[in-house]
Amino acid sequence: MIDFTSTPIMLTVILGAVGVLIPVINVARKEKGSSVYGAITLGALLAAIGFVIYQIITKHITQSAIFSSNVLVDDKFGSFFAIAMLIVGIMTTVGSFNYMRKRANPAVYYSLILLASVGMILIAYSTDLVMLFIAWELMSIPTYVLAGYLKKDPSSNEAAIKYFLFGALSSGIIIYGISIAYGLTGSTNIEQVIVGFSKLGPDMMPLAILAVGMFIAGFGFKIGLVPFHMWLPDAYEGAPPTIAALLAAGTKKAGFAAALRVIIMGAIALNLHWAFALAVIAIVTMTVGNLAAIKQRNLTRMLAYSSIGQAGYILIGLSVAPISPIGIQASLFHILNHSVMKASTFIAVAGIVTTLGVTHIEKIKGLGKRMPITALGLTISLLALAGVPPLNGFWSKLMLFGSAIDAGHTLWWAPYLAVAGVLNSALSLAYYGWIIRKMYFEEGESNKRLKEPKSVIAVMIFSIIFIVGIGIYPDPVIQFAKSAVPIMSGLPVIH
Amino acid sequence: MANALIDFVLVSVALLAIGIYGIAVKRNAIRMLFGIEMVINSANLNLVAFSRYIPNSQGQTFALFSIAIAAAEVAVGLALVIVAYRMYRNIDIADFRSLKG
Repeated sequence: MIDFTSTPIMLTVILGAVGVLIPVINVARKEKGSSVYGAITLGALLAAIGFVIYQIITKHITQSAIFSSNVLVDDKFGSFFAIAMLIVGIMTTVGSFNYMRKRANPAVYYSLILLASVGMILIAYSTDLVMLFIAWELMSIPTYVLAGYLKKDPSSNEAAIKYFLFGALSSGIIIYGISIAYGLTGSTNIEQVIVGFSKLGPDMMPLAILAVGMFIAGFGFKIGLVPFHMWLPDAYEGAPPTIAALLAAGTKKAGFAAALRVIIMGAIALNLHWAFALAVIAIVTMTVGNLAAIKQRNLTRMLAYSSIGQAGYILIGLSVAPISPIGIQASLFHILNHSVMKASTFIAVAGIVTTLGVTHIEKIKGLGKRMPITALGLTISLLALAGVPPLNGFWSKLMLFGSAIDAGHTLWWAPYLAVAGVLNSALSLAYYGWIIRKMYFEEGESNKRLKEPKSVIAVMIFSIIFIVGIGIYPDPVIQFAKSAVPIMSGLPVIH
Repeated sequence: MANALIDFVLVSVALLAIGIYGIAVKRNAIRMLFGIEMVINSANLNLVAFSRYIPNSQGQTFALFSIAIAAAEVAVGLALVIVAYRMYRNIDIADFRSLKG
């Protein structure tokens, strides 16, 4: 049995208990007002992140016991994702303070954010397919509700229905993949499934490949890989922008956590030529995302396509993982960076929506004078997304492309990944730069400075410090990402 | 054992195919929900059949979990469809087109 004081259990207790209690408090309380619930949620998330860091510092947490006979394992891989998810949760909660002030049912809103965070964290810690699936659903179901949170708004409802239909189909596909894996190996523990896969006879091999393919498809829906990305721009555009931050920065990264736990290990055990397939998906994903983003006129939709493009960059690290030791490390580093950058851009949009009520790119002219701090935060995040030095996005992209070149000794096609990545970064700078030009170099309707929401200012200041700080001194985070890399040599078969 | 494992698997694959066909072709939101239910239940059938033939109990445990989760998921889906119906007086997803680009 896993220890009660281990990180995943305690996080579930803290966040889950508070998440269940908030609606109860709402019923018991007479007076209205959303700030109390926001404060409670923020407190729970801060306590949780404090606990994770305390556990890492004081206890000897296994580096990456990617396998375990339990359903959960307390390792650094999980802790890394837990920290990323909790940062996203905190940014979303703080960014929602002003957005939720005049809206209905704040208690349920914050409670659902907490429950979705529990799901995202448990995905990263789970070592059993049953646990993984339950955590996946615990993450997904609250976000379906949150995407359709603006009940009177047709586009929010439409976004939620599209997101729900694709999300539910993807979980159906995942569970079918799990059922095949269970049928072939007689276990749902990830370690035993992989050991079982590596012992399969050639006649059963196609079924095992089918199972891994179903995992890729199922997780790929949430990640937004290109054949499965159709729902993503609609869902991000229609959902409240704060929830779009949670979806783009949180659930997408949880999909990568699940993919790392299952697909990578399974594919290595099966000795597939999966690396090439993943590389093709990576190039197609980043190109389609960035090309589609250029055409957009709506800020949230443009950012949604840009997050598809970023998923392609992260996939570079995964596809060269068996050859280059820094592949997964670079992916993890970019996952953490992208969480903060993307959450900060969407929160900035939420601030613009609360103050001006617009998301069209022509309407944000002159924003640099009207809302200076929001505009500065948005600019820094966009430059970091494009990979401009000396911001954090530059270092993680450098590591990703470096790992691709590094793998070029063995795989002839790997350097082309780096080439595609660099070209796409240049392409993405075109539309990021366009947003920045509209904000600073074009005259708006007025130059009067508006009152910016305080909570958005707080998020912007945090993200500027994070992005610039890691950009100047990236070493500790790179070392942390290195310690979180799963150890491949523990696998039964290495070819 | 009267029935061979392959019979169950064939039924399950047929259910999966019908479910995915329903999601891909139908434009009525409720019919698409049917399709999703069929996909999940085909996996449940697989799990229970494998669990009977392996034999161990993990598959049946998982099937119970997945039935409960599917119920929660579909409850959320139906709620979303009801909200859409109040707004559009219609549940044809081809008519939901406020988001484009």
